[in-house]
Order: sequence, then C-alpha cells, then structure tokens
Amino acid sequence: MTRLENYTKYLLAGLTGLIVAALYAPIVLTIFYSFYKSRKGKVDWNSFSYEPYTKLIYERQILESLMNSIYVGVVTVICSVIIGFYFANYYHTSKSKMKEFLQFIIFLPFLLPPIITGLSLLIFFREINLPRSLNTVVIGHTIFVLAIVFKIILNKLETLKPSLMESAYDLGASKWQAFYYVLLPNIKLSLIIAGLLAFTISLDETLITLFLIGNDTTWPIKLWAKMRVGFSKQVNASVTLILILTSLLVLLIASIISRSEKKIMY
Amino acid sequence: MNSVLNYFSTSIWTIVSFILVIFLILIPLFSFLSYSFFTVDGTDIIHEFSLFNFKEFFIDEIYIRTFVRTIFLAIIVMSCCIMLGYPVAFFLARYAGRYKYVILLMLIIPLFMSYIIKIYMMRSILGYSGLINKVLAMMGFIEKPLEFFLWNQNSVIITLVVILLPLIIIPTFTSLDKIPKNIVEASFDLGCKPFQAFRYIIFPISFPGLIVGSIFVFILALGDFVTPQLVGGTSGFTYGKIIYSNFGMAFNWPFGAALASILLFVSVIIILLTNYLTNKLKT
Repeated sequence: MTRLENYTKYLLAGLTGLIVAALYAPIVLTIFYSFYKSRKGKVDWNSFSYEPYTKLIYERQILESLMNSIYVGVVTVICSVIIGFYFANYYHTSKSKMKEFLQFIIFLPFLLPPIITGLSLLIFFREINLPRSLNTVVIGHTIFVLAIVFKIILNKLETLKPSLMESAYDLGASKWQAFYYVLLPNIKLSLIIAGLLAFTISLDETLITLFLIGNDTTWPIKLWAKMRVGFSKQVNASVTLILILTSLLVLLIASIISRSEKKIMY
Repeated sequence: MNSVLNYFSTSIWTIVSFILVIFLILIPLFSFLSYSFFTVDGTDIIHEFSLFNFKEFFIDEIYIRTFVRTIFLAIIVMSCCIMLGYPVAFFLARYAGRYKYVILLMLIIPLFMSYIIKIYMMRSILGYSGLINKVLAMMGFIEKPLEFFLWNQNSVIITLVVILLPLIIIPTFTSLDKIPKNIVEASFDLGCKPFQAFRYIIFPISFPGLIVGSIFVFILALGDFVTPQLVGGTSGFTYGKIIYSNFGMAFNWPFGAALASILLFVSVIIILLTNYLTNKLKT
C-alpha cells in the first residue's frame, strides 16, 4: 500500500512538473526570441544579442502604450481601492438588507464573461455620448477589479474585533481620527495587497479594454495590433520587461501576504 | 445637532456610492439588454422595440450551431482543466510538503502574465514548424509535421487550457489544503482503503473549490473571443468571436447585443445552478 502511494506520488509530481513546464513554455519562448533570431522555424544560435533592449528606447509607439497602461493601472488602483474600501466598510458595519444587493452588483462584472462587461459599458458610453478614451478604460478596469479589492479588504475587516473601533470611540476619537489612527494601520497591508493586485490585473486586461479603448492604446492592445504583422524583437523585449515587472509584483504580493499572516493578531 | 449632521453625511455617502454602482454596473447592463431589442439602419441605431434580432438568431441556424459548439468547447476545456488541475492541486496539498506554496506561486504567476503573448506564443508551439512538431520529429515519432494542432478547434482548446488551468488549481488547492491530516488517518485506522478515503472524505471536502474553479474556467472559455481570433483560424471561430465582430467590422451593435444577451442568460443560469447545487451539498 505504501508502495502504491509512492507510485502515485511520483506520478503526480511528474504531472505537476509537466504542467508547470506547459504554463511557462510560451513565456520562456518569448524571452528566448528576444535574444535569438530564428528564420523559418530554425534558430540561429550565434545570433545572441541584447540589442532589442537598447533599441527599445527608440520605439515610441511601444513606450507610449506602456506609459498609457501604467497611467490606467495607477488610476484604476486609486479608484478601486477607495471605492472598494468604502463598500467593504459599509458592508461590514451596515445592518441594512441592501448590502447583500450591493455585494451582488459588485460581483457581477467579475463573474460575467468579460465580453459582456465590455460591451455593456461600450453601449452605455455611446448612449450618454461619452467619447472613448483612456478614462473610459479606467472605468471598465475599476468595476472589473472592484470585486477582488472589495473581497480582500472585507476579509481583513472581518478579522478585526468590533471592540477595536468601539474603544477608539470610547476614548473620544472622532470618526475621522478613529479611521486614520486605528482602522487604517490595521488594514494597511490589505489595502496594499488589493492595490497591487488591481494594478497587475489592469496592466494585462485585454478583453474589456478592446471595447473601451479610443485612439490611445494600452500595451496589450498594442500587442494585439502588432500581432497581425508579426512581432519584432523589440516587442519581444518589451514583453520580457513587463513579464519581469509582473512577476516581481506577484512575488511582492505573496511576500506581503505571508508576512502579514505570520504577524500576531491583536 | 451634530449627530443629525453626521447621520446625513453618512447617508449621503451611502446614496452616492449606490448611485455610482448602479450607474456604472446596472445601467450599462440594462442599456445593453435593451439594445438587443433595437435594430440598425446603415450606421444609425433605431431605438424601437423589435424582436428582429432574436428571430434572426433562431432562424439562421449558424448562430445556434456555433453557440452549441462553443458550449461544448467550453465543457471540453473545463473537463481538461479539471483532469489536469485536480491531480496537481492534490499533489500540492498532500505531498509537496514545505514546497507547496512555492509551487503554487509558480502556478499563479503565469495567470498574470500577458494574455495576448501567451496566445501568440502558442502559435509557435503548436504550429506546423512549431515546438511540438519539432520535438516529435526529432524523437522520430513522426515523419511529417502534424497539422491538427493549429488553426482549428483543437488549438483553441489547448490554448485555453494552458491559460485557464491556474484558475482551477488555486481554489481546489485551498479547499484541499484545509483538510486536516488526522481526518484521513482516522479513516485509514477505521479500515478505509485509499480509494475509499478519497471518494468519501477528500473529494467531498474539496468539491466546492473545484466547482468554483470550474465555473470560472467555463464562463471565461465561453465568452473568450481573442483566443479563437488568434489561433482558431477559419474553422475555430466561436460565439464570442461572432459577438465581437458585430461590434467591429459588421457594425451591427443591436444584433451583437442580442447574441450577447443570450450568452448572459446562459451564464446567469449556470452561476445560479451551481450556487444552488453547492448550497444543497452543504446541507
């Protein structure tokens, strides 16, 4: 019986290894092609160069789209964290029946296929004559990530004891003081995690963005447009840089989570 | 006086926040649903109620056929993800020991990595002179490169599985990880065979996580329009791609909205159904 278990263990480990390899294969290939040339499917092993990375400075279109993506990401983070915190706090403290309804609505754009969120906002913006721009993209991203931000902050709020805020009020803190000196330090990490996650998602959001984008392009949309003519090595280089950035962001989130879990809760 | 003011300021904020959500989520959804009853005349949209779009959907059988095929495609993608993802989550939770979070993190990171790039690179993996064909040829399994990987349904399925797999591993792992080891050991002490322990203890506890992941995979595979566009070729087009094309080149927004509202209807039914089933299982 133990031998059987050993076999299953190795079998499963092998499968896991294969799946990790499959998930990383497209990414590794991208990085590879940013350094090496290939012609008709054959790789030229002597063509190693990091020139595409230095040439990237001259690719105005790519850089511009990157800047747009970062702008959209930052504004999305600010909006979604503020709104998400407000709703989480409302959901946590309110006793009204409306809060379940609120949660249901917040989760809709996250649960429905992105294509539905994208096209319903597109139609809405047309009906109210709001021209498409980076700001409409920000709105789309914000309502898409709102559910995740809301849930992360709410989970943290629910771990806090009600006595925490009550004692602050008893000691004479105003509402604002209680928020700033008591609540905020306690939920700071969850706000940071939610913000980083929102940024990471926004940076790569494609399906909703395709509907809401105006004349300016974000980075994934630029890639989508470039794909028809094939990728230059500079594009691969920019992809590699962004991949490094997102991996670092995810690692940062993970390390914050694991550190905050180790902390003793008061 | 102060408390009255305080009360009003809170309720004003509450009202503002509700209005915000209703304006940005509910009203767009309603305007999209109402669009599905409009018609188009050239580049003008006629804001009058008609069932023309739905009639079109049910009369022209290509739409229904594509819809059914896309549902099947999403089911296949979901089943593949379950079959590959569940064992991995099981391995992580039970055997990976101290490395389990490291491996989990390795599985999560690709989820956040460029969606477009992953699809694009799948082309050079699955293609005629792609990685798979080259490796197979090198190992002597095939003489001529295989063609069934690219520009058809298979390539769409493989690509979606690679992209969506982490979504099923994460929730399944979290529910498997919660199972205390001593429960399983106790079942062994009581004479359970390994398979019985899995069938009656481990699997039921992990089921809700598996369901959550499966639903995410199913819905995302159902509504995807970028993957079929990039790797699907002519035979691999899906329902989502038809919807998207009505908002692009075809410029028939009302008809696209009507097609999407059918998609919405099906997704909502599936979400409600699973919600109902998981609640029933809990009790």
